Amino acid sequence: MASQVSQPQAATSGAASSQDTLVSIRGLKKYFPITKGIIFQRHVGDIKAVDGLSFDIKKGETLGMVGESGCGKSTTGRAILQLHKPTAGEVLFRDNGQMVDLVKMKGEDLRKMRRRIQMIFQDPYASLNPRMTVGNIIAEPLEVHGILKGKAAQERVQELLQVVGLNPYFVNRYPHEFSGGQRQRIGVARALAVNPDFIVCDEPISALDVSIQAQVINLLEDLQAQFDLTYLFISHDLSAVRHISDRVAVMYLGWIVELADRDTMYRNPLHPYTKALLSAVPIPDPAIEAKRERIILTGDVPSPARPPAGCRFHTRCPIAQKGLCDVQVPEFRNVGNNHFVACHLVPDGAG
Amino acid sequence: MAVAQGVRPTGQGAWVPQATSRRSRFIDGWRRFSRHKLAVLGLFIVGAWIVCGLFAPWIAPYSYRENNLAVSQQLPSAEHWLGTDRLGRDQLSRLIWAARTALIVAPFAVTVSFALGLIFGSLAGYLGGWVEGIIMRVADVLLAFPGLLFALLLSVTLKPRLVSMMEASSVLKDLVRSGYAELIIVILALSVVGWPGLARLVRAQVLSSKNSLYIEAARASGVNTWRVIRQHILPNILAPIIVVLSMSLGGAVVAESGLSFLGLGVEPPIPSWGNMIYENASNGLWRTANAPYLVWAPGAIVSLLVFAFSFIGDGLNEALNPQIGEGSR
Amino acid sequence: MGTLLDVKNLNTRFYTQDGVVNAVNDVSFTLDEGETLAVVGESGSGKSVTMLSVMRLIASPPGRITSGEIMFDGRDLLKLDDDEIRQIRGNRIAMIFQDPMTSLNPVLTINQQISEVLQLHLGMDKAAAKRRAIELLEKVNIPEAARRVDDYPHQFSGGMRQRVMIAMMLAANPQLLIADEPTTALDVTISAQILDLVKRLKKEVGMAVIWITHDLGVVAGMADRVIVMYAGRIVEQAPVGELYASPRHPYALGLLKSIPRLDEIRKEKLEPIEGLPPDLINYPTGCPFAPRCPYAIQKCLEERPPLAPTTSTKHLSACWRWQDVKR
Ligand SMILES: Nc1ncnc2c1ncn2[C@@H]1O[C@H](COP(=O)(O)OP(=O)(O)OP(=O)(O)O)[C@@H](O)[C@H]1O
Ligand SMILES: Nc1ncnc2c1ncn2[C@@H]1O[C@H](COP(=O)(O)OP(=O)(O)OP(=O)(O)O)[C@@H](O)[C@H]1O
Ligand code: SF4
Ligand SMILES: [Mg+2]
Ligand SMILES: [Mg+2]
Repeated sequence: MASQVSQPQAATSGAASSQDTLVSIRGLKKYFPITKGIIFQRHVGDIKAVDGLSFDIKKGETLGMVGESGCGKSTTGRAILQLHKPTAGEVLFRDNGQMVDLVKMKGEDLRKMRRRIQMIFQDPYASLNPRMTVGNIIAEPLEVHGILKGKAAQERVQELLQVVGLNPYFVNRYPHEFSGGQRQRIGVARALAVNPDFIVCDEPISALDVSIQAQVINLLEDLQAQFDLTYLFISHDLSAVRHISDRVAVMYLGWIVELADRDTMYRNPLHPYTKALLSAVPIPDPAIEAKRERIILTGDVPSPARPPAGCRFHTRCPIAQKGLCDVQVPEFRNVGNNHFVACHLVPDGAG
Repeated sequence: MAVAQGVRPTGQGAWVPQATSRRSRFIDGWRRFSRHKLAVLGLFIVGAWIVCGLFAPWIAPYSYRENNLAVSQQLPSAEHWLGTDRLGRDQLSRLIWAARTALIVAPFAVTVSFALGLIFGSLAGYLGGWVEGIIMRVADVLLAFPGLLFALLLSVTLKPRLVSMMEASSVLKDLVRSGYAELIIVILALSVVGWPGLARLVRAQVLSSKNSLYIEAARASGVNTWRVIRQHILPNILAPIIVVLSMSLGGAVVAESGLSFLGLGVEPPIPSWGNMIYENASNGLWRTANAPYLVWAPGAIVSLLVFAFSFIGDGLNEALNPQIGEGSR
Repeated sequence: MGTLLDVKNLNTRFYTQDGVVNAVNDVSFTLDEGETLAVVGESGSGKSVTMLSVMRLIASPPGRITSGEIMFDGRDLLKLDDDEIRQIRGNRIAMIFQDPMTSLNPVLTINQQISEVLQLHLGMDKAAAKRRAIELLEKVNIPEAARRVDDYPHQFSGGMRQRVMIAMMLAANPQLLIADEPTTALDVTISAQILDLVKRLKKEVGMAVIWITHDLGVVAGMADRVIVMYAGRIVEQAPVGELYASPRHPYALGLLKSIPRLDEIRKEKLEPIEGLPPDLINYPTGCPFAPRCPYAIQKCLEERPPLAPTTSTKHLSACWRWQDVKR
């Protein structure tokens, strides 16, 4: 295996770490070991699912995160929540005006912090315990954090069900009695129960039907306005991400390759991967589709166990330069206006 | 319930709102169980077995051990509903007392093997790595032997030693005299062969439950490990385990009879359905006395219990699964 | 151009423990030679079951085609015996399924699977079949086809497997290709590759295509004509341009309005279709969309609107108020 370097980072990306930063990720890495052997397991390599991410999330904003399957979006979300212990890096979270590193927290301290950071999962079918009633599912975070108990908790559950647009009568039902969209609402209610500041939404709409997706997106937006929430919104649907996000990060094979304001990103994408991604999104209008120029990428996404040397995108990049892109790792840098790109061929000042 | 259940569980079902009253897990479960008619029948059969076993001295019309050669080899009559054997013992009474034997052996054997299976299975599932490797390889080896044969071997090799050990102790001496010492050995033998299958099941359940998204969701909302196990993992792995538990009770009854039939389990005069078959069949009594029921009655009881337990298993499977629809439309 | 497929009043039911599922109800449509027809609708609306019925692939029990007529090239497929239908399947009508993982046999090499079709339907010998298999893989842009032809499916990525499926159905030169959401499980860039490929092949081979999807964007770039399904019924049918410019059924309109679009100015709020589709067991007597429909009137709840021509004979809608439905 060629020696692989993770992505070199500019000092900070996104907003400069200022007072309004809620979450700040520094050099985040998550490797999954590949092992062999039945009884005694040998370490034979690593899946570099997330390889050196740095970005900030401001209080009250929605940061969209897009990229193809397997590029490390969910792993990033889970590593932020410490559901996977990061291999390296810091996850700083603002607590009483101070930035604390979640990676260094353990046991009870970490469990207490979980009250402030919640997650909504991709699969509304698998993320609810099939043997618990909806009431108990939503009440659980309240109870474990000692916020409310018994009858008071049940009342709060009914209130939450109303907030997410479900009938409060449903407390005693089991998850299988609901449709996908309704289950996703239950997942949202569970995340909201403890009044968190920050919610990682991991593809909350991907498993839902088109007509239901809009319901859930609207719900998330309403709740954000109502409770002053901050979101990391993970999705592979570029249209939905544009709708809901303030800023957007594009991931490819464990890296963030581009990060910019929503409008900048969609109007003026700089990274060749972002350009291809945007041009591949079909537009529901036959007249436009007939005229559109597509950038069709060739080949498949390489395996994160053996990422290509140099720029990880060079194997599929339509403009890659031999001798540069396949050798040298591009720096993830600000090319103006807080528009961050990791590409050799984007000049400084392009932002 | 009106979720349209299509081919794919991910289908967006349509549902009709209905008022809900507070639901008890137990009542819900019983409703699902009782819809299964055979399971209810099974429950009655098992209930009868337990009653016979517990109250044998009061239910059985005669003693199981006293010989009465005056009434040897009688056909069924008003006094002796199922007739008597060569030693003049009332067959019905012996069948009833044999229920007690099975009632002592089966739950014990199953409890011990379940305890072993649960412990080893969950250790393997949780810890993974080399612990899992070793436990599961041992289980594989044990599973490769025919179970009954292995119990047999153990029983043969251990029995003399255990019996002499017990006789040396003042407390256990009485147990040996009462004839129930054999039972303990049978229990041990059955437990040793019983746990690997269960350990496998438990491990698989723990693994799939441990990696499921709702466990991750619970951890993400700050639930601690102990509560994750109690609230999320246990209820989800318990159902299949309880079902298997029910089935293996039936299996243990058969195994006890089998060992006793081969003379390696419970020995006369203590009656067991197995040794009754053996006694009555081997001395040719059932043919000369023209009383085939002396052999098939104990056999039929054992079969009946096995069926009963498997029906109950089916019923429990439904009862413990809230995803099985309630009530018909 | 002649009519290739003419489906009339197709009804398919599933007999389940909970009751009879009315999965496909009075579905009628036609398809010309060389035409691309898209079928859209949400999950459970009967898209797959309709096409499986056309292929006579409904498992029975629990399913049954209770009535209807499926004329393919002048013959009623419902009247054919099992041997005759097998001759048509895979030979003259081919189907690709949603899940590229499960539709290839994991224990056979790619060559064995493609060659099987060639040997069976075209009577080729082994060597010729392999040569043709490599050609076909090249046609669907599998790099190093000659080497990869002996690989097993798990050695291929999802997008490559879907391309193998396409190569396989091309093997017999079918007149009709039915594709059941072949790109739903794939990433946007991979899905764009597949769409591009099918468009190119269609031009080369000249086959008709039925494309099932729930992605209105995909439809816009692919189809000549579109069928919109809801609750097992066709609720709208129109040439692709007309459907997007002036949908005549509130459900189609709602779908178009509910999706965020990359080419439009970002809306403040999305406009979802509220509510859920009806229960197919207790099928509603009126318009099945009525409980969710912003246009619904009393009549909609009581009487079911038939699929009838609107502004032209090619643009059909099953809505009492189609004249009021506007973008
Ligand atoms: N627990 C794990 N053990 C080993 N490898 C893992 C694990 N979780 C994820 N991976 C690998 O890490 C990589 C990134 O996975 P991740 O789930 O983060 O992708 P993703 O961007 O969320 O994709 P998707 O859009 O499919 O959800 C993948 O190659 C995946 O196979
Ligand atoms: N084998 C079956 N038994 C019972 N019901 C079935 C069966 N197969 C399909 N159905 C029902 O028929 C209806 C139509 O299903 P179908 O698979 O055609 O939907 P679809 O439009 O293809 O949805 P999707 O977009 O999710 O694939 C659904 O309500 C489904 O639940
Ligand atoms: S028929 Fe009525 S309910 Fe149905 S779509 Fe038209 S207006 Fe809506
Ligand atoms: Mg993911
Ligand atoms: Mg389908």
